[in-house]
Amino acid sequence: MQILAETNLFDFDLVIKQIPDLLKYLPVTLELAALAMCIGIVLGLLLAVIRLKKIPVLRQIAAFYISIIRGTPAIVQLYIAYFGIPMFLKYMNLNHGTNFDISAFPGFACAVFAMGFNESAYNAETIRAALGSVDRGQIEAASAIGMTYPQMLRRIILPEAMTVALPGLGNSFIGLIKGTSLAFTCAVVEMTAQGKIMGGRTYRYFEVYVSLAIIYWAVTIIVEQLLKFLERRLELPEQIDKAATSEAERQEEKEAENYKYDSDTKFEKKLSEQYST
Amino acid sequence: MIAIRNLKKSFRNNTVLDGIDLDINKGDVVGIIGPSGTGKSTLLRCIDRLETPEEGEITIDGKTIPLSKHDRKQTLELRRQTGMVFQRFNLFERKTALENVMEGLVTVQKKSKQEAKELAMQELERVGMSAWSEHYPKHLSGGQQQRVAIARALAMKPQLLLLDEPTSALDPELVGEVLETIRSIANEGFTMLLVSHEMSFVRNVANRVIFLDNGKIVEDGTPEEVFEHPKSQRAKDFFAKMYLMKQPEYTI
Ligand SMILES: Nc1ncnc2c1ncn2[C@@H]1O[C@H](COP(=O)(O)OP(=O)(O)OP(=O)(O)O)[C@@H](O)[C@H]1O
Ligand SMILES: [Mg+2]
Repeated sequence: MQILAETNLFDFDLVIKQIPDLLKYLPVTLELAALAMCIGIVLGLLLAVIRLKKIPVLRQIAAFYISIIRGTPAIVQLYIAYFGIPMFLKYMNLNHGTNFDISAFPGFACAVFAMGFNESAYNAETIRAALGSVDRGQIEAASAIGMTYPQMLRRIILPEAMTVALPGLGNSFIGLIKGTSLAFTCAVVEMTAQGKIMGGRTYRYFEVYVSLAIIYWAVTIIVEQLLKFLERRLELPEQIDKAATSEAERQEEKEAENYKYDSDTKFEKKLSEQYST
Repeated sequence: MIAIRNLKKSFRNNTVLDGIDLDINKGDVVGIIGPSGTGKSTLLRCIDRLETPEEGEITIDGKTIPLSKHDRKQTLELRRQTGMVFQRFNLFERKTALENVMEGLVTVQKKSKQEAKELAMQELERVGMSAWSEHYPKHLSGGQQQRVAIARALAMKPQLLLLDEPTSALDPELVGEVLETIRSIANEGFTMLLVSHEMSFVRNVANRVIFLDNGKIVEDGTPEEVFEHPKSQRAKDFFAKMYLMKQPEYTI
């Protein structure tokens, strides 16, 4: 430390001092991650259901989409979104008479869509496995009372699948928070981009990256704790008090206990004799 | 009356149901017996469209519904008129006993929460489970779970209740409470198809017994007729085997 301080090689104070300035950009990072995650979950669920229900045509499209997303780097996808979406809007304006304001379409939105699409391909597998893990018996029971598939999905399958998918989705959310540092490709200034700017000003790149590392790590720990809390919330209670039993029910319980259809033992005996001879 | 016509179901080259015709009168309790693997479960599952037969139709509540065609609306309608009780209970794991019974009332019959709750409580009382309304399935014994499952099916007021070996997944000491529940609802006039290996219970509770073998109805009559005077050799052999196995119990 002594040497470091004397030679001015590593300025630890700067690491701490920079943190508040970087934290100003944390909301951008978190917004990016949260919005992309929303797209990723909704689209991922859609893809999972399409693949699980083997819906013709859509199924092939879903497989193709997932294959492309998984087969290309995230940074390339971001660039494609950043240049492609305005091009697409321009094309629409020219050919279909629409009137999108291309300059108003922000890089932030491009980044959200690109990262959301990327996320969806990976979430699709997690969600599909979770949906598939719900025991067939409950699905049959829901069918038997006349529920439609969307009703079943919403009320029976998803609540149970969610508990299975949560750790996996949580993990990918943590990955996504760190992945937002690629958003500079879409000209979004989030935390890492801000760090680079600050480093450029002071030429203290090492310090600023250490500051960033500390912040990302702390955020990850907080998110992990939130996930643990959520998981606990989803657990069913261990034990439950029995309500008071009415007199009529107690009577019935007694009856049921004694119900051994004693007359029938005679019947069985009779039949067993009849058939054994 | 409920009429099933020409029900045919194969799994690949294995013909399980070979043109079943069955008329069920309102209030009938029909016991279905037969050797393992003859298609008793398949019969019930085809009636509820959990399995798609190649041929067959059902007339229920004056409407004829083809069982072999997959028409979403007709399938839902059929399922709304029939109730199913499964061997393995199949309660909704993440719902309490009360919520299990309320589920169909709220989502399918579109009743208000309050009304559904009251009706569900009545059904739970009927099966002697109202004190456990806040319990989740994992907190309940097998017999208790099955009684909740029966309440769930009854709450929908089905024209036809299908029970597939409702006691065979239960420990012996829990069988009695479920049988007693079924007997009491049979007395209330519900129309039921009951698959069971509990022969004496079938005799006790059913007013008609069907013996199914090789995809056909081989015996059909009152319990006395079928159990004590079976016409077919297959049924005689089945009973002989069944009671031979049971015999040591009585010779002790
Ligand atoms: N999904 C399936 N695929 C192929 N074969 C099947 C399927 N389901 C049932 N089977 C066959 O259909 C036949 C009838 O089965 P089912 O379960 O209806 O018999 P069961 O009379 O209910 O027998 P048990 O008394 O043992 O319950 C059996 O030979 C079984 O192997
Ligand atoms: Mg069976």
